[in-house]
Formats: sequence, structure tokens, C-alpha cells
Amino acid sequence: MGKRKAIEQIVKRQKRLRNTERVESKTEKSGDKEKWTNKQRVLIFASRGVSFLARHLASDLRTLMPHARADSKLDKAKGFFEINEICEMRNCNKCIFFEARKRDMYLWTSNTPHGPSAKFLIENIHTLAELKMTGNCLRGSRPILSFDPEFDNLPHYQILKELFTQMFGTPKLHPRSQPFIDHVFTFSIADDRIWFRNYQIIEEDGSLTEIGPRFVLNPIKIFRGSFGGPMLYENPKYVSPNQYRAQLKKNAGLRFKNKVESQMGHQVRKMKDTYNIDPLDEIFTTIKPEDAKGQEKLTYYRRKRSHPKDAGEKIAATP
Amino acid sequence: MEENTLDVREENEEDSNSESYSSESDVETEVTNRQLQDAFADGLLQPGLNFIDKPVKECANDVGSMKDILQEFTQNIDWIERLDVTCGPVHPPGMTEEEKNEEFDVEDYFKRELRFYRQAQAAALEALPKLNKMDVQTRRPEDYFAEMAKSDVQMKKIREKLLKRQMSLDKSEKAKKLREMRKFGKKVQQEVLHARQKEKTEMTRRVKNISKGKMQETGEELKKQQEKGKRRNQDPKGKNPNNPLTKKVNKKREYKNSKFGFGGKTRRMKFNDKDSHGAEEDGFDARRNQQSFSKQRMKKGGFKKGKGGGFKKGQGTAAGGIKKPGMKKGRPGKNKRKTMKSRRK
Repeated sequence: MGKRKAIEQIVKRQKRLRNTERVESKTEKSGDKEKWTNKQRVLIFASRGVSFLARHLASDLRTLMPHARADSKLDKAKGFFEINEICEMRNCNKCIFFEARKRDMYLWTSNTPHGPSAKFLIENIHTLAELKMTGNCLRGSRPILSFDPEFDNLPHYQILKELFTQMFGTPKLHPRSQPFIDHVFTFSIADDRIWFRNYQIIEEDGSLTEIGPRFVLNPIKIFRGSFGGPMLYENPKYVSPNQYRAQLKKNAGLRFKNKVESQMGHQVRKMKDTYNIDPLDEIFTTIKPEDAKGQEKLTYYRRKRSHPKDAGEKIAATP
Repeated sequence: MEENTLDVREENEEDSNSESYSSESDVETEVTNRQLQDAFADGLLQPGLNFIDKPVKECANDVGSMKDILQEFTQNIDWIERLDVTCGPVHPPGMTEEEKNEEFDVEDYFKRELRFYRQAQAAALEALPKLNKMDVQTRRPEDYFAEMAKSDVQMKKIREKLLKRQMSLDKSEKAKKLREMRKFGKKVQQEVLHARQKEKTEMTRRVKNISKGKMQETGEELKKQQEKGKRRNQDPKGKNPNNPLTKKVNKKREYKNSKFGFGGKTRRMKFNDKDSHGAEEDGFDARRNQQSFSKQRMKKGGFKKGKGGGFKKGQGTAAGGIKKPGMKKGRPGKNKRKTMKSRRK
């Protein structure tokens, strides 16, 4: 029985294969076979001295975006205009560039070679390697791009939205892409920052699980050209991490200063005497030997009771 | 010192006031200056109350050219090529208007993530029917296998972590229940002890009565009581600490032993090994690679089997004194050589 079942299965599979071939040939015959027309290519790479986090994030983005390419790390001393040339050499018309400066990381997104480009401070990175996010998707499947309605309100957000759609959207029928759409890239705006999330679509009714990576983009500037040119927009609410850290230090310093000042003030304000007492008032007050305490006891002599022999020799003297 | 600087600041301000006062074209500043002067005369203005503010930094926001550029580089292609959806978060059916419009706190992790999730959900709910209409597949068939974004090793790790978490939750739940039971059990135990004590006193009282000759109790009743006592003494529940079956296992102790090491090696516990770096899952066999490496070395070194004879001076050190399975006829060990030498004599 088992054998027969196996044979049946094989026959079924062959039939299915034949059917699919037929379908393909049909489309070819009709001549309206769809073509890969939207040729976006994104170069994803980083500057030298970038942290492991950026490296991992870049490689994660490359796994999720089949139209992405990699390049060796760039020496910052050469300047950013060279990136345009690199993109041209690698045949890319979009670029995501991670720039490391001190302990902070900046992200450039650019439409090369004519612009516009935008610079972000990248914060709160979580990579695909984290075990917290349980979803998974096909490598290279096309994402649905979800944008916050806020993106349509302001012109600089509109520019960023267009840039992101062209950059993160996988072109249809890209040779390295998969034919199924099984995940959503989400761009939301909160706290004047753009939050990126990636979700897997589990059911058609809209139940999702997060795949990763996660990051937050804090917009700094938008330029007309690619990696330069006249500035179109500058975020007034942006505070550079250097400034922020300096402020923190300053506040800490102020706290110490305030403490010292208050201590000094207390010293000044503190009264030496609680009440004005004339020391001469106490001259003529006498204390009974029974009431004497501490130091006052020294002014009295006493006869010792334990030795009755000596009792007659010593005479108690009172002042 | 402090006061001096304040004075200087005040003077500076007065200077600037006089300058602006001289240019009488600006009426508004004149009025404010006059007010200031009046206030100063009244003694309302004190040194240290005023300081010159930093100029506000102007930020570029070129709306016109931004709109131009947007038109310039926007792609005019079908939606199916772009797949972009702009929509707010989806609202669950039971939500009131107030909750919908409520501003969420960014610092609140749960609320923030829920909002992002809902936005993605809304996008999926909007896009999927559209895609289905266009005959674009959104579901992978069961028999379609392809490389995934996360590797199987990674997914296995994730599953293990989830399982572990679930286990620990269950365990804590169980422990909680047990604790409750124990609390209750204590009460029961006390009651039992109390009852026994009572029984005992009753018994002694009766025995006393009997000895006094007041035979009120019948013999049968006494027998019953004795049997009851016997049964209790033969209770099979008695705990024997040396019996391995009834011995209680201290879970906490066991875990600590596994963590900190007891009765095993403790030194290299935190080092990576074959299992920890997942060599087997990657299909990497360290032993095989090692072997091939040693073979290569053999070839390069020029040691060949069956060439007989000893080694040349200097070349012998290349072997590093390590005996290799391939070299059967090598230089014998030092002890052996010594014994051979002594035998010759």
C-alpha cells in the first residue's frame, strides 16, 4: 500500500510541474510576459571605524533587500563626494551609508548622483540576531511599505517618504527576489523621529510577528544634492549627542555646586548660641553634693565607707 | 567679585540702551527703553536680573524648493511596483473615540510598540486584498522551500528561548501553588496534632479510671482504641532520609551545581566549544579539517613513509616531538634510546 501511495504522489507532482510549465509557456506565447522595469539598486556600506552594531545592521538590511549591494568600508578622510563615484562604479542609484563619529552613528540616505539626500542620527539599533523577535520571512521577498499619515503633512517628510519607498521597496520581478509578499516595513513618526519596524504577515486577517531589525532615525538635515549641496531642511529640535552629553555633565556639575553653596549658606545662617546667657549669672548658685554630676563631682571629697578604720582620720571637706 | 561682574553687565545694557535710544526711528524700542528707565529709577531693576540672551539659531526650511524636488524625483509607476501604503494605526472594534485620538507616550514601551504594530496591521489589511485582486501571491505554499532571512540555527535558538521562558513561567506558577498548599497544609497538620493530643489525654484519663476500679468502659471499646493507635504507628508514610526513592531532590541545589560546578571541572566552563558555536549545524567538522591540515603539513615537510633511516639533524625538530599516526618508524623516545645504548655495552 505504501508503495502505491508513493507512486501516486510522484505522479501528482509531475502533473503539477507540467501544469506550471504550461502556464509559463502560455504567458510567453501571449507575449505580455512582465519584465523587471524598476531598476533600483542600493549600495549599503559604512565608513571606517564603524561599530559592530552598524556592521550587523548593514548586513541585515542586505539580506532583506535583494537589490542591495555591498562595498568595502570607506576612509572618511577622502570625503563624502567620492561616494557618488563609488555608487556610479557599482551601478547603484541609491545609497545607504553608515558614518561613525565618536560613539555615535549617523546614517546617510541618498538618491545618487543628483540628490536629494538626508542625514540622520541613528539610535536604538536591534539587529536580526536578537532572540526577542520571533518572526521570519523569505530572504528577498518584497515588503509592503507602511507609512505614518504624518508623512504626508510636511514637505520634508514627503521627501523622506519618497526616498524610503524608492530605497526600501524591492523592485517587482527582481531576479533575486521571491514571488511572495510576506512582510511589512513600517515607518512611523513619534517624538519627531522615524521608527523602523519589520513585521511578518502570518495570517491574511492581519496577525503579525516582528522579524527585525529595529532602529530609530532622528532627522538632522536634508540636502539638495547627493551627500552635499544646499541645505533644504534642518531639524530645529535636533540636539547633537555631544551637546546632550555636555549638558548632562553640566547638570551633574551644577548639582554639586548647589550642594556646596547650600552647605556654605547653612554655615553662615547657623546660630552659635541658641539663647543669650550671661555666664556671671551662675556664679552664686551652689549644688548639693548629691546633685553633682560629671565634672562637678570633682569639687567634693567623700569619706569611704568600706574602711571603718580610716573613717576617723579623714575628714570630709566641703567647699 | 560676583557683584562686580553683575555691575559690568548692567552697564553694558545701559550702553546698549543709550545706543538704541539715539536711533529714534524705532518707536517700539524707545517705549520699552523708557519703561526700563522708569523702572530703573523706581529701583525695580536690580543688577543681576537681566542678561543678554543668545541669538536663536535659524534652521533652514526651504518649502518651495522641497516641493519642486519632490516633483522632480517622484517615480510615476504603478502601485504594484512600489507597494507603499500610508495609513494610521488600525483600531480594534471596542475602542472609544477618546482612546483613538489619545496621544501615546513614546517612553511607554508597550503602548509605543502596539501602535507601530497596529499601523503595520492596517497597512497589511489594506494592501493584501489589493494584491489578491491583482493575482499577486501573498502566501507561500507548504512545499515551497527557499532560503529565509533568519537561518534555521537562529530560529532553533529562538524556539529554545521561548520554550525556556515558558518552562520557567510554569515552574514559578507551580511553586506558587505549592507554597499556598503548604500554608494550608500547616493548618491541617496542627489540627491533627491537636486531635492526637486530645485523644491521648482522654486515653490516660480512662486508664486512670480503670486502675481506680471504676470499670465504666467496656473492654471492647478499649481494644478499639488500642488498634487505632497501632495503625498510626505503622504508617507507611514515614520518611527515611537514606531511601533514594523517598529522598527529596533539591532543585535549587541541582541548578546551582550545574551553573557553578560541583563534582566536575570548573575551569573551562565558559569557553566556547563544539556545541556552543554550532559547528555540527554548520556542517563543519573540526576533526576532519585538522586531519587534512596535518596531512598537508606532512607533504610540505617532506616526511614520507618507508624512507627508512633516521632524520637529519635540524629536520627532526620540525616534527616538534609529536608522534603522528603516519610515522611508524621514527626516532625512538629518549628512554628507549638510553636502554638501547646500555644494552650495546
